[in-house]
Amino acid sequence: MRSAWITSQQALQARLNTPQQIDPSAPEAEMPPYMESFLAHLRLLIGVPFDYLVPDARLLPDESIRFFYIDPSWTDRLVDGAISVGKIGSREQAHHQAQHPSVTKQLDVTTRGVRDLQRGAISFLDLRASPRAVSDPVVTGFLLRSGAVSGWAHMDVRAYNKVLPNNYDPAALPAGARQLPLLRLERLSPGVLIALFEGIPAMVVCEEPHHGIQFGVHEHNGKFSVFRRNPGAVAIGGQIDVPVRQSNPRVLALAELRRTLKKDNALAAQTGSASFAIELLNLPFRQRFAGTGGNVRYTGTGEFVYVTKVAGNVADMNLQEAVKGIFKP
Amino acid sequence: MALTPPPKGAMYLFDYATPPLPPGSYRIHSETDVTVDAKPHALDHDNYFDVVGPRFNLPPTDVSGVFPPRNGHGPYQDALAQVAIKRRTLPWERPIDAGAPHPIGEPGDGLGLGPDYPTPWVALLLFEEGEYSLMQGVPLENVVPKAIFQQLGSPSNILCDALEADLSLVKSIMPSKEELQLLSHVRWVNKDDRELSVEGSDGWFAIVMTNRVPSPNAKCRACLVSVEQRTDLVKADPPPSAPPPADVVVHIEEIAQRDAGFMEVQVSRLQETSQQRGSSRLTGIVPAKARLVLLHSWQFVCEGNGTFFDLMQGLDVGMIGKLALAGRPPLTDTSHLPIDLHDRGGSEETALYRGPLVPFVLARDPLGPYHSADQARRATPETGVEDISYAAAFEVGRLLAAADARLAQELMRWRRQAYRQSARLDMIAAVQIALALPPGISIPQLSYEPISPIAATGAATLLVKGSGPIADRYGMTVASRTPGLNPQNVSTAWGLTIQDANVILGVKTPGTLGIEVPPVARTPRANTTLDAVLKDQASLARLGMVRDRKIQNAAIKLGGSK
Repeated sequence: MRSAWITSQQALQARLNTPQQIDPSAPEAEMPPYMESFLAHLRLLIGVPFDYLVPDARLLPDESIRFFYIDPSWTDRLVDGAISVGKIGSREQAHHQAQHPSVTKQLDVTTRGVRDLQRGAISFLDLRASPRAVSDPVVTGFLLRSGAVSGWAHMDVRAYNKVLPNNYDPAALPAGARQLPLLRLERLSPGVLIALFEGIPAMVVCEEPHHGIQFGVHEHNGKFSVFRRNPGAVAIGGQIDVPVRQSNPRVLALAELRRTLKKDNALAAQTGSASFAIELLNLPFRQRFAGTGGNVRYTGTGEFVYVTKVAGNVADMNLQEAVKGIFKP
Repeated sequence: MALTPPPKGAMYLFDYATPPLPPGSYRIHSETDVTVDAKPHALDHDNYFDVVGPRFNLPPTDVSGVFPPRNGHGPYQDALAQVAIKRRTLPWERPIDAGAPHPIGEPGDGLGLGPDYPTPWVALLLFEEGEYSLMQGVPLENVVPKAIFQQLGSPSNILCDALEADLSLVKSIMPSKEELQLLSHVRWVNKDDRELSVEGSDGWFAIVMTNRVPSPNAKCRACLVSVEQRTDLVKADPPPSAPPPADVVVHIEEIAQRDAGFMEVQVSRLQETSQQRGSSRLTGIVPAKARLVLLHSWQFVCEGNGTFFDLMQGLDVGMIGKLALAGRPPLTDTSHLPIDLHDRGGSEETALYRGPLVPFVLARDPLGPYHSADQARRATPETGVEDISYAAAFEVGRLLAAADARLAQELMRWRRQAYRQSARLDMIAAVQIALALPPGISIPQLSYEPISPIAATGAATLLVKGSGPIADRYGMTVASRTPGLNPQNVSTAWGLTIQDANVILGVKTPGTLGIEVPPVARTPRANTTLDAVLKDQASLARLGMVRDRKIQNAAIKLGGSK
């Protein structure tokens, strides 16, 4: 029998001496799609039991939000552990040793697309064909345990690398360019929300979901109030108490409210029910968290802002003419 | 200025939209004034037609959206219920008070709406569970009082849905005329916007909202009712609005509805005495009921503890590791948590654990990969306490992967592929050495390209390179490289001068060893046109001559003559 070109012993020796024999860009460095997807999900702690994330309930009390950085070593060990399944001998060990750098590098890229995979927005093969750029290796996030999570399951969560002014428009620049990629946003239980961002945020915003424009008042300590809005429907600070009926304290005295509004010259001109409705808009609230700066002792609460835009105003003479044109038979 | 539809995500609000022709019965009277032969021929003709609109029933398809959602559960206690009606003119189609078309006028303080401002004939009333009862298919005359039935035109055989509630309650929540005007408006939304958009809708909606805020944790029903001609319930001026203590006022109002005259004298006394009397004295009074034509209704439940605003403002904010009570649990300054466990020997031990969520940026451990959890166990240098954070991470990763059967398979496939690849690479390396393949080809390139063509090309290249210039037919250049034909070697070996050796070997003598003839260089030619070629008579003549000679040669070879 002819002897082999190379003995397995020599091969093993060669692998151990020069671990990186395969270029990370070479096709054979690729993991099977399912495995890569599984490990990328694992990197974002998907499926990791909650007790491992928060080992003591007192670290995340009721009605609290806790910001954090992800320990990259911890998630690397998680992946090491997953790969160790079926590792029965030195051959598998040598293999893992050789593949480790390329696996790590590849998973760094793949984790950036996990959210799209979770949402079903892209297939894994498409994601692999057009990988996301890694803008920042640091992964941060927050855990929120609150009644707000169960009540407003679809709240918007955004993180920015700069503190933006109160009335910024999230769809326009500069906010769009300042937004950090969202890596994960998921409810771990009906009352606990986890969010992961790529990069270190300077400001995090939780916004009440926009389920249409509704009307309402702000109730505080049994008193109702509305926010003062200028003709552009932009809140200009301050609130106006809403009078209620003597006979039923939960029935608003709207005619009287309108008189109060009309006397306030800073507000939208009260021409009728449309301008009145603007004052009663119950706009989605936006809770800002800014200035934690990685300081554990930070205890401040965020501030609330409320924003809106109106497309036109009835006080505008041109618009009034145009409206009349529409309603003419 | 032409009004374009609102941009995406925007909407226009309008005060009202009145129909060009309100519902009712109409007569078209046509009249001609024709004179023939100085005699007038009056041709009068009357036609009758009806404009109809929803009156005592509203088709459910006309309601395109409600808020709070139908049967929804949520914290709606600061929201005003609203209904969106697809027919944008509906609230203004009928007069609320036929006798006085514009009864409001400009109120004395000059702050009200204008005298031409139309008043809607529908109102959205909010009731809580137990405050109302619904009736279906009731004759209209049993719903509205007789006087109002007559004002409505005594329509016969009308069955409608009705709502019955305490008269006092209805009066306390019923909007006044001016409030009705404020509670309805028209909205023009972008059709691309999901908001309220219904298939077949033109983007226009009439919105009617309520004036009552639901109580926390109450089950509520919002009812769109008709208040056409209900002058008995809709007042021009709203009830007084100062907020005194609520419990006293409600009782006074209940009594007041029983006997209006009684109220005048009793109010002051009741206010004084109700604190001591309590509400028990008032039981047994059967309050008067009011019935309203019900056009549409839906239910929702207020639940949840507080509004988004209150909850978010009440949050305890901090980095992970911030504790409500210092020292509970006893975190270290590195955010590690001491936990008690039994070690392998069974003895109790305190170890440190820290999850993946940390309050500071940590660098990545460069000592990867780890092949077992034990490799990742650490001891803190100061105290010697074991840190099992990373070992725990390794184990949970292993367990999660082991629980997934498909992952185990994929891992095996990944390895098998790599082994096969590795064996192939080794084989190529060995072949390369054995065949002395050209070094220009890298191993990774070889590893995924077919090896036999490359080996063949490599061998061919070697052969071609070794064969020397093509003009050296006898291979003399190659032969001259042998040591015996080297003048230097010959001169050294035989003790000759180099010139003699050259003479003996015939080096540099043309014809002796043959000469290297370089391949014929191609003559560079400029691009030319066919016309230019045709003008070159001399060249054409030469070409013709060559052609003739070739033909002649061929003819001779074939045995014929020219």
